[in-house]
Amino acid sequence: MEIKKWFRPFEQLQMEQRLSILTIWIVGVGAYWFAVTSGEKRLFPPPVKVWEGLQALFNEGLVHHIASSLGLCLQATLISIVFSLVVAYLSPVPFLRPVAVALSRMRYLPLTGITFYLAIVVSNARAMQVWVLVIFMSLYFITSLLGVVKDIPQEEIDHARSLKCTRWEVLWEVVIKGRFDYVLDVLRQNLAIVWMMLVTVESILVGAGGLGVLIKNSDRFMNHGRIVALQLVILFVGLGIDLFINYVRKLLFRYSKI
Amino acid sequence: MSYESKDVILQVENLSVVYDGKTIIKDINLVEKDTQRAGKIQGQTIAFVGRSGRGKSTLFRALTGMIEPATGKVLVPDISKYNGEAHTIALKEVHEGDVGFVDQKYTLFRHKTVYQALHYAMRHAKLSEKEKKEKIDQHLAEWGLEKVRNQYPNELSGGQRQRTAILEQLLGTGTMMVLDEPFSGLDVGNIQNVKQAFELVNASHELNTLIFSSHDIELTVELADSIYVVGYPALDNGQRTNYGTVLQHFDLKKMGLAWKDELNGDHLDLIKTIKKTMLDS
Ligand SMILES: Nc1ncnc2c1ncn2[C@@H]1O[C@H](COP(=O)(O)OP(=O)(O)OP(=O)(O)O)[C@@H](O)[C@H]1O
Ligand SMILES: [Mg+2]
Repeated sequence: MEIKKWFRPFEQLQMEQRLSILTIWIVGVGAYWFAVTSGEKRLFPPPVKVWEGLQALFNEGLVHHIASSLGLCLQATLISIVFSLVVAYLSPVPFLRPVAVALSRMRYLPLTGITFYLAIVVSNARAMQVWVLVIFMSLYFITSLLGVVKDIPQEEIDHARSLKCTRWEVLWEVVIKGRFDYVLDVLRQNLAIVWMMLVTVESILVGAGGLGVLIKNSDRFMNHGRIVALQLVILFVGLGIDLFINYVRKLLFRYSKI
Repeated sequence: MSYESKDVILQVENLSVVYDGKTIIKDINLVEKDTQRAGKIQGQTIAFVGRSGRGKSTLFRALTGMIEPATGKVLVPDISKYNGEAHTIALKEVHEGDVGFVDQKYTLFRHKTVYQALHYAMRHAKLSEKEKKEKIDQHLAEWGLEKVRNQYPNELSGGQRQRTAILEQLLGTGTMMVLDEPFSGLDVGNIQNVKQAFELVNASHELNTLIFSSHDIELTVELADSIYVVGYPALDNGQRTNYGTVLQHFDLKKMGLAWKDELNGDHLDLIKTIKKTMLDS
């Protein structure tokens, strides 16, 4: 019996069966949503309200805000990944290792203290957003990248050494070139945190647009449909970034099988 | 079979390796000489056998200059001073990169295709770009890697990976190559391939020297012309220590057992002796 297999752990199903299961879930959740929100008293808005909320968001300039958020994300990511890579790539140098480790430990620092000092130095809201993000993203990136470097087996290092590589060539070939696909993966893994942080930072430091501003405005409107619509938009934009990076990784690195 | 032993090509003196305060191998001394046979290019094949954990891999890391010995030294030929004539071999202390090393996992650069890896290995060779390409093409064909030349390590079979790893060292380093358990995990066909590879290496340069370890004693006796048994030595009171050293050495050339196509009764006796020494250690 086919259906029975769907409930057996570790069962490998055909593509079409997996699709059937997915369809059942989507239809089920959709129907449930309709059903529980059709009555008078409800906590969650019905689909119609969410659709209306989405339209309202469009009128407030949703596309513009998404672009602004993506721009901020790109800018902060680029700066912090470059900084983190330099730190992580230099971590095999014994003298510089403590710096890298210390920086990765800084992720336990609370956000507020840092923003306080940043506010003294930076006045522009946008620049402030960028730097807050850069600092926090870097700490997470450094942690993950240090893990990547640490997980390189001794054999790979020795293999390069046996081919007359100098130590700096080992670093270049094995760590930098040989693990470049992992950098994209680190980016992808951490982007979920980054994306969440980004929206939060935007909503705290209003003034430069972005999805975070829309969230902030939601409080004023008390419009449930709008809030849920916005959550969904943020979720799907985030997922889109994730898919895109994964696609690029597979496209660029044939040898990559993580 | 007549042969002559000429210059020293490998000398290990009083070698010991200590990891975190624990002595892993100690008192290792050995000398290997260039073997010459009339009318034939004859390299050297040296094997190390011993039970698991007795320090073969550790010894190999010291032989290739990957780790600093705690005491003693490893001397290998200084190829830059060799001009092809007898008695011109000067010895020097081994440094990483002087001796090729193929580890048990056949590690390769994960981001280089077979061709790119071989090309990279030859980056210091004093050849023109065209000559390098020809040399690589010729080796790829000889070693049956023509079809996979543009594939990455994760797209190769174990045997193909291993041949690439050996070729890389062959093209990139000097004349001496250390292989840690090159036969483990291979099927009969792969083993045949590696055996042929050994013959190719041995026949291609007078000084070429292969050093390998194996748990397959029959195969070792068939391939090697010099065998060292590594194990824990016994103290005077009969107790065993827990550091490895060379317990026995068999010079198969002297015994008249080297370079035979088939194993005979004497070979079988040798296999028995080696196994007994290993079991006792
Ligand atoms: N990096 C290390 N640090 C501490 N001890 C080590 C290290 N590498 C190996 N050892 C120890 O050294 C001893 C010898 O190990 P080695 O790998 O040289 O053995 P081996 O003869 O190659 O064994 P096998 O046949 O199983 O490969 C073992 O007891 C092992 O636990
Ligand atoms: Mg070993």
